[in-house]
Amino acid sequence: MIRENGKVTAPGRRNPRFGAIRPLTIFPLAGIMIVAALAIGARSALAANDPQQQVQDLVGKAVPILRDTGTPLPQRRKELIDLLAGHFDFSDMARIALGYHWRDLSADQRSQFVQLFTAFIENAYMGKIQDYKGQDIQVTGERTLQPGYSEVQSRIVQPNKQPIRLDYLLKQDSNGDWKVYDVTVDAISIIANYRNQFNRVINDQGFDKLMADMRTKQEQLQESLGS
Amino acid sequence: MNYQDHFRLKCGALRRLVAIFAVLAVCGAFTAVRAMAADPNAAPMPGEPAGAAPMPGESAANYNDPLEPFNSAMFTFNMKLDKWVVTPVARGYSLVLPEPARVSVGNFFDNVNFLPRFANNLFQLRFQNAATELARFGINTTLGVAGLFDVANSWFGLKRSPDDFGLTLGHYGVYSGPYLMLPFFGPSNIRDAVGLAADGAMNPMAWVLPWWITVPVDAGSEAIEAVNYRSLHPKQFEEADRYAIDLYGAVQDAYTQTRAARLKEINNGD
Repeated sequence: MIRENGKVTAPGRRNPRFGAIRPLTIFPLAGIMIVAALAIGARSALAANDPQQQVQDLVGKAVPILRDTGTPLPQRRKELIDLLAGHFDFSDMARIALGYHWRDLSADQRSQFVQLFTAFIENAYMGKIQDYKGQDIQVTGERTLQPGYSEVQSRIVQPNKQPIRLDYLLKQDSNGDWKVYDVTVDAISIIANYRNQFNRVINDQGFDKLMADMRTKQEQLQESLGS
Repeated sequence: MNYQDHFRLKCGALRRLVAIFAVLAVCGAFTAVRAMAADPNAAPMPGEPAGAAPMPGESAANYNDPLEPFNSAMFTFNMKLDKWVVTPVARGYSLVLPEPARVSVGNFFDNVNFLPRFANNLFQLRFQNAATELARFGINTTLGVAGLFDVANSWFGLKRSPDDFGLTLGHYGVYSGPYLMLPFFGPSNIRDAVGLAADGAMNPMAWVLPWWITVPVDAGSEAIEAVNYRSLHPKQFEEADRYAIDLYGAVQDAYTQTRAARLKEINNGD
């Protein structure tokens, strides 16, 4: 991210050769907020029938939690991990990320992969909490893709720079709750990006190597989190 | 200019044009083949079993990479170049030049490179955007002190309209062709690489000066621009690497999705 020690940074000029990389690092941070928002909203008695309204109300509540630097970090992380578990459909995300390789896996391999993928994404998110500098998140719109599938558009407002577009793809589950199955940062779908990566690794080196690589990365992320 | 110089200049431009059209013909061939294919967002890619279609709103990311050995080698080269040359130079450069100055340098190069943006907006018949680019150039060069300050945006709200010949080709139906990793320039594809060459040919210096002046000057200014950009975004590659299982695949997909999205924006009238 274009941020160093809270200094005012360059206006958003994106070099098309390199600019594609930045969104890959914003996904975890953005995802935390929307999920926190969704989670808090789900506690309400009403069913989450309108994804945008739900997001709108709750981004307003989630942001203060993230801005709350008074609460110890491990506790905030735990809260967020619980929220993530409740409101991201990780098994769906893992299945999409494997693309057509999912069909070739045994039930055991599938559950192992979902577990590892969940841990990996969680660790990726947690590392980003520290980078949150209090930016505003605005939910700007919603679009129904198909019955039961919706896209909610939002953006992260940055001072002196272009806002970062953030779109969430949600699917309604059997309880009527909306769960996120993909996040698109500045027009790059993150799950599709992982799908390309996983496809390459599985084709070139096999599924077991993918699991090993992901485990290594996840442990590295865990270490860099410290406590 | 005497007769020999005039002839040599014409031949150079002619050779460039021939090269461009040759590659365009290749792209045309790709287009003809792809014209038969359904919308990639709706159906699995050729070779994928049915049932592998993406979820609603997802983009299809599985695609072939026939040039992979070359691309992989170039990717490794680019990463090593970044690690051992560009990043250290950028670090030293950022110690010498404070950030606002580096932002201004970035603005300067952006302003100087307005001609491909302007021309391609025209080629795509986006006259409003072309006029905006022209106005931006005029304002930034004068009021913005030779382009150092982007006053056209901050005072007049005239936004950049990023555009290049690759997008123009795409707008008129040329398929992107296989992924191509260019040394120094980074990720691209066949069509966009042609676009890069075409945009390069739009450098007014090339029309009046011989190649042995313009090539080093171009290379030098590109290098400075790259170092400057890198100094303003120091942790970009490192962070992408932290969250990627396969960095080559991550960059490949990020580039492809970004280009496809930009092309879609343009085709939908921005």
